[in-house]
Amino acid sequence: MNGRIDVLVVDDEPVVRDAVSRVLEAAGFSVATAPDAETALAVPVSDTCRMVLCDLMLPGESGLTLLRELRARRPDVPIVMITGYATPANAEAVREAGATAFLPKPFDEDELLTLVRHALAQTDVAGEEPRP
Amino acid sequence: MKPNIGTLAILGVATVTAVVIGVMSGVVINAHQGALTGQLARSADQLSETIASSTYYDMLENRRDAVHREILTIGRQQGIEKVRLFNASGRIMFSSDEREIGHALDKNAEACYACHAAGRPLERLEMPARSRIYRAPDGHRVLGMIRPIHNEPSCWQADCHAHGRDEAVLGVLDVDLSMTDVDRQLTHDRTRLALLAVLAIAASSLLLWWLSRRLILRPVASLMASTRRVAHGDLSTAIPDTAWLEIGDLARAFNDMTRRLGEAQRQLAQSDKLASVGRLAAGVAHEINNPLTGVLTYASFLQKRAGDDPQTRADLDVIVRETKRCRDIVRGLLDFARQTPPRLEPTDLDEVVRRAAGIVMNQLTLAHVRLDIDLATGLEPVPAEANQIQQVVVNLLLNAADAVAGKDDGAGGVIRVRTAAVAVPPRGSATIRSAACPKGCTLLDPSVRIAGAPAIRMLRRWGEHESTVYLDPVYGRFNHQAAEPCDEGVIATYLCPACRSKLEVPEHRCELCQAPMYGVQVTGLGRAEWCSRKGCQGCRWDAMDALGEQRCAAIVVEDDGRGMTAEELGRIFEPFFTTKGTRGTGLGLAVSWGIVEGHGGAITVESEPGKGTRFTVRLPYRATPAPEPAVARAPMPDARGIATSGPTGTRDARPAPGGGAGGSR
Repeated sequence: MNGRIDVLVVDDEPVVRDAVSRVLEAAGFSVATAPDAETALAVPVSDTCRMVLCDLMLPGESGLTLLRELRARRPDVPIVMITGYATPANAEAVREAGATAFLPKPFDEDELLTLVRHALAQTDVAGEEPRP
Repeated sequence: MKPNIGTLAILGVATVTAVVIGVMSGVVINAHQGALTGQLARSADQLSETIASSTYYDMLENRRDAVHREILTIGRQQGIEKVRLFNASGRIMFSSDEREIGHALDKNAEACYACHAAGRPLERLEMPARSRIYRAPDGHRVLGMIRPIHNEPSCWQADCHAHGRDEAVLGVLDVDLSMTDVDRQLTHDRTRLALLAVLAIAASSLLLWWLSRRLILRPVASLMASTRRVAHGDLSTAIPDTAWLEIGDLARAFNDMTRRLGEAQRQLAQSDKLASVGRLAAGVAHEINNPLTGVLTYASFLQKRAGDDPQTRADLDVIVRETKRCRDIVRGLLDFARQTPPRLEPTDLDEVVRRAAGIVMNQLTLAHVRLDIDLATGLEPVPAEANQIQQVVVNLLLNAADAVAGKDDGAGGVIRVRTAAVAVPPRGSATIRSAACPKGCTLLDPSVRIAGAPAIRMLRRWGEHESTVYLDPVYGRFNHQAAEPCDEGVIATYLCPACRSKLEVPEHRCELCQAPMYGVQVTGLGRAEWCSRKGCQGCRWDAMDALGEQRCAAIVVEDDGRGMTAEELGRIFEPFFTTKGTRGTGLGLAVSWGIVEGHGGAITVESEPGKGTRFTVRLPYRATPAPEPAVARAPMPDARGIATSGPTGTRDARPAPGGGAGGSR
């Protein structure tokens, strides 16, 4: 760890942010959180983190807008969309907008870690900003 | 009391009858009176002629005694009041009433006035003018007929020289006849007519009373009662269809109206229920999944770090398991609210079954349930959407696992799942998915389902009975349901419940018992027919029989679990019906039925309490005409009012448990 943030978690629900941070930090990842799209885009972390976990339904700008914005800024960063309202239409929409994966809520520790590890491993293979 | 239509009609008819009979009686009595009086007048005239002739020579020869005798003799005859002979100055010369002789008559007296007051001479008067009717002192009527005796040469040339040559009228013969007989006859006629009038009025009133009671009051009362019941929300009300004429039409129209209202209400309630489920599912999914994420993540996190304390581990296991159950319930709701038509592609059912088994294997192992898989190698791919069929198989396997686990002996059971290519005859498998009467009214009723499929609704009439019957939509299967039982062997008439046209098929007789057949039009597939004798299993559906056996791929899931009762079997495909108490959502089989139906296939179930259950899913190799989209498969608006639809279930958007990045399909 060199102070660089691994995962940026964007969710308007504090309990989700806390739970996800807890699990990821316990697994050795560094985590930053943001409650909405505007905050997420404003913090410098969004330009440096190794992956993003983002809720689909956010107050203000939707998760889909955030996804498109981030994807425009950083074409290769893994972005995993999470949502409590998982429909095939939603899955299709986020896939077309450039999401790496789609994780319906609720999930358990294993499901979350598996997905995050897999996404980060892809990043490493892709060679973008390899972990020290 | 409020006057009713019957009383008013009776009063009206009685008045009219009385007036008509009264006028008619008046006319008849008058005519009769005229005839009788005329007859009497003619008799009087003849009599006076006779008297005049018979006394002629006595007069000429001035034999007054003889004249007097003759007048007395005639005057005593029955019916003759009196006979008088006046001289020209009005003095009574002869009379049958001897007391009057010598009296002079006042020309202004009632009996004389009519002629004399008119100032006319008594010459050459016609008969009506010579007659008069007056009342005798005792009140009875008398007809008087006068006859002027004109002067003739023989009179003034007679030896007595009683009359001069210049006198025109020598005297008047007055014959008075009693009208007692005539009046008695007339009174008798009047009484008879009045009696007849009373009888006619009574009879017509009685008839009207009976008719109004039978044809108007009773049907209207029953209509009123039914209207009140409908007003109170009881739409199952029907008026017995026994009235005639317009009231009968009204009753039928009323029944039709309430039936349609009821149907609309049922459909509204059903689609409302389903739309509510859709909104509820979307709302619940959105709201509850965030807290569930917290619970599940923390619980699974702690589960791994619970250390060696078995009790803590067990407690955490419960939290994780139950939270996942919540997740499954929410997902079931979403699946149910979002069934979509399948995208049919050649699909290897063996592969589908293997994948479904993989998904549930852990759960089965934990429940000590053995899963025997017996796949037909080389099964020809069948047109299907793999993900949807996989969901069906998963549902059936989980149901079977629950049925086996629910056995009383507690021992783990066995589930067998196998696939096979089968050829099924149309009878017992082909489902009628559209049904119309000859006039085009739709007969399929989605609110009543027989083994999951919308039943065919008809009216059955036999003898005095008429009631609704729901036909099993599976051709050659006879799980009909009736509102009112009908004796075996009775030949009934079947009617369209909407337009009441007969569903009879005159050109065919039952091949088994020769009874008449009735049938429904099936869109694009001719007509499906049944024998109208209760209990006879005669039926024909030429289009299906011509197609012959249908090649299908079948998936059979059997268990040796607790089985189901007939009542449960009849309802298992209903949404929200569950035999598992709080452990089920009641949606799994409803979703499965909808999916298989969407594939044009069939899902059937056989079960015996204590022995086990067998579900068979059959998917046809050849596509049959697409069914009408059922209400259950209509897209549901989500929490934001956007209709959701999509080709696959939620499960496919998830990462497979234990590895791999999900999301891409």
